[in-house]
Amino acid sequence: MPEDIASHFGYAKPMKAPEPPKIKITDGALQILQILQRDSRLVDFLMEDISSYGDDQVGSAVRSIHGDCKASLTRHVTLAPVIDNVEGTYQKLDPSKAPDPNRIKLIGNVPATGKAAGGTLRHRGWIVSSVNLPPLGKQDISVLAPAELEVE
Amino acid sequence: MSEYIVGIDLGTTNSALAYAPASSADGETAPVQLFPVAQLVNPGEVTALDLLPSSLYIPGANEFVEGSLALPWDDTPRYVTGSLARKRGVENTSRLVSSAKSWLSNQNADPTQPLLPPAAPEGIEKISPVDASREYLNHLRSAWNQAHPDAPLEKQTVLITVPASFDASARDLTQRAAKLAGFPEVTIIEEPQSAFYAWIERNPDWREQVAPGDLILVVDIGGGTTDFTLIAVTEESGSLQLERVAVGEHLLLGGDNMDLAVARFAEQQFAQKGTKLDALQFHSLWQQCRAAKETLLAGDSAPEEQPLTILGRGSGLVGGTVKGKIRRDDVRQLLLEGFFPIVAADAFPQRQRRAALMEVGLNYASDPAVTKHLAQFLRQAGNARPTHLLLNGGVLQARAIERRLFDVINGWLKESSAPALIELQNETKQADLMHAVARGAAYYGLARTGKGVRIRGGVPRTYYVGIESSLPAVPGLAAPMKALTVVPFGLEEGSRVQLPQRKFALIVGEPAEFRFFSSLSRKTDEPGSLIEEISDDMEELPPMEVSLPPHTDATREEIVPVTLETNVTETGMLELWCVAADGRRWKLEFNVRERAAAAA
Repeated sequence: MPEDIASHFGYAKPMKAPEPPKIKITDGALQILQILQRDSRLVDFLMEDISSYGDDQVGSAVRSIHGDCKASLTRHVTLAPVIDNVEGTYQKLDPSKAPDPNRIKLIGNVPATGKAAGGTLRHRGWIVSSVNLPPLGKQDISVLAPAELEVE
Repeated sequence: MSEYIVGIDLGTTNSALAYAPASSADGETAPVQLFPVAQLVNPGEVTALDLLPSSLYIPGANEFVEGSLALPWDDTPRYVTGSLARKRGVENTSRLVSSAKSWLSNQNADPTQPLLPPAAPEGIEKISPVDASREYLNHLRSAWNQAHPDAPLEKQTVLITVPASFDASARDLTQRAAKLAGFPEVTIIEEPQSAFYAWIERNPDWREQVAPGDLILVVDIGGGTTDFTLIAVTEESGSLQLERVAVGEHLLLGGDNMDLAVARFAEQQFAQKGTKLDALQFHSLWQQCRAAKETLLAGDSAPEEQPLTILGRGSGLVGGTVKGKIRRDDVRQLLLEGFFPIVAADAFPQRQRRAALMEVGLNYASDPAVTKHLAQFLRQAGNARPTHLLLNGGVLQARAIERRLFDVINGWLKESSAPALIELQNETKQADLMHAVARGAAYYGLARTGKGVRIRGGVPRTYYVGIESSLPAVPGLAAPMKALTVVPFGLEEGSRVQLPQRKFALIVGEPAEFRFFSSLSRKTDEPGSLIEEISDDMEELPPMEVSLPPHTDATREEIVPVTLETNVTETGMLELWCVAADGRRWKLEFNVRERAAAAA
């Protein structure tokens, strides 16, 4: 049906597209922090002064936080090494061109040209292949954790 | 014909849904799959998980950020169901509904009345156990319909599992909840049978593993209930048949009680060191104890103890962290000796202590020793000597518990010179132990339409209506009751029993009530036979009621002589009908309100 006729009978959809939700560039970062605090209390841990506690005390707390943190990180972010190889082994590179600095950082005796035939893999790197965060609703994203009051 | 066959395990603590395409009904091996259920796991975060926790949270007006409870199928749900409900319920128990299923078989309350949460303060709108069950089923239906818009769940063949020990009234209430959730008709199937079907599904060569004359004992330890069932293997014209020959009584005792026992013990140890745990910390302890139990009871190589860590509350996380441990010997003592003690074959569970029970609202089993209940069950089943054992339930992941059950039963068998039990392996992974019931239900749905094997069994109880004897009334004494057998033990689905022996006079326009009794152990009473006295092995159920519609001509009062007729539907529901001489029929309905009033 032509649009003008359809609109005459009141069938046409409104032309104005709904306004896209306002998402600030920092929202994703805050959301990740919020999730890590909620699921594993990471912010509590980082912000606490732990200098006065013994290794034993810190250790047992960390074991618990580590497990929760890892679970919630892997739930929302898919991580993989940049170079999937054994650290400490020799890794070949294309000697004709300098490696992509995003992905590979040369350290040690780096030639003036920035090109190398290879080197010992010291760190495999991390790359995120997908991020799966729930859509942001109306919550105040700047509140990483609400204050908790227990009513007696 | 529906596109899918769907099995729903409507559990006390977790629910699950499994399905298979109906077109696969021709073969015995069917591709039964689990349906991941979309649910809120955090405010604003919907994730599909294999289990839907059977928890319901009644949110307050300003409790959650606007819109953060939206589901893909409902922007403003009235209740929160599933993971988030359980999570938030730890922080605020007064709005949490859990174990609704246990209330369906509660003899002391009317499950259609708003009773839950039992401890909700004034001002929180309560919900009935039936309506809570409706909410779980409705959630499953909505999540399914979201994923299968072309094959809505209410148009599929749906089977819902119940404990074998659920009486006719509790089954009726389950059916009622399903109707309220928009399911036109569902088939009710018993959980231990479902677990056994799951075994058949996993073992296409099952005919090689059992032989005629074998007797399979199924022990199903769910989150909140424990269920015993005996299945006999017989032979009919050359092919193996299965028949369910006995089910145990309703035992409100499950894996959650066992985990809780360990957590309470650990909590005491923390208390002795001066650490008092709050609700959230206790919940964390409970989770840790659940995992620790499995490690400590894994077998011979199990470690001697497991660490327990309680993080400090507030921002003093490291500073407030308390360490503890739980020892293998303590867990063994608590679980094996507490719940699965070695007892003689003639052991009796302790009788109920009423006063303590009324307080909590539910008839929890008064004796936690599962093995004593099991001994009683086997005796009541005619000193049955099972040849095979099939175990089901998450708690049996702890191998030591599994082994203890074998040891105890084998001890009894040895005394009577019977051979030791053969284990039927069901699921291998823990996660699967929690899904077997839903999977088995879907398999059974296929078996009903196709060639798959079907366990015969029928009604697992004998049912009676009470008849006042015509003795002259003695002042101050109720007339003694006789019991008319209306449903014989084992009456099969799709059959009908007429009871012309006794006529009842019903008055048009007035409700008539029948007292209703059942027995698990009386198995030989014939339909129509009159038992002179209500005996101890009969249990009273809610009365059944029928109202004959008044005549259009109001001046006529009419008394209609009727006889009773019993009908077991193809879906496993028990129906009682009043039949007049001219063929008019009226169905009797349970009156659950009456039961609660009588108990009060």
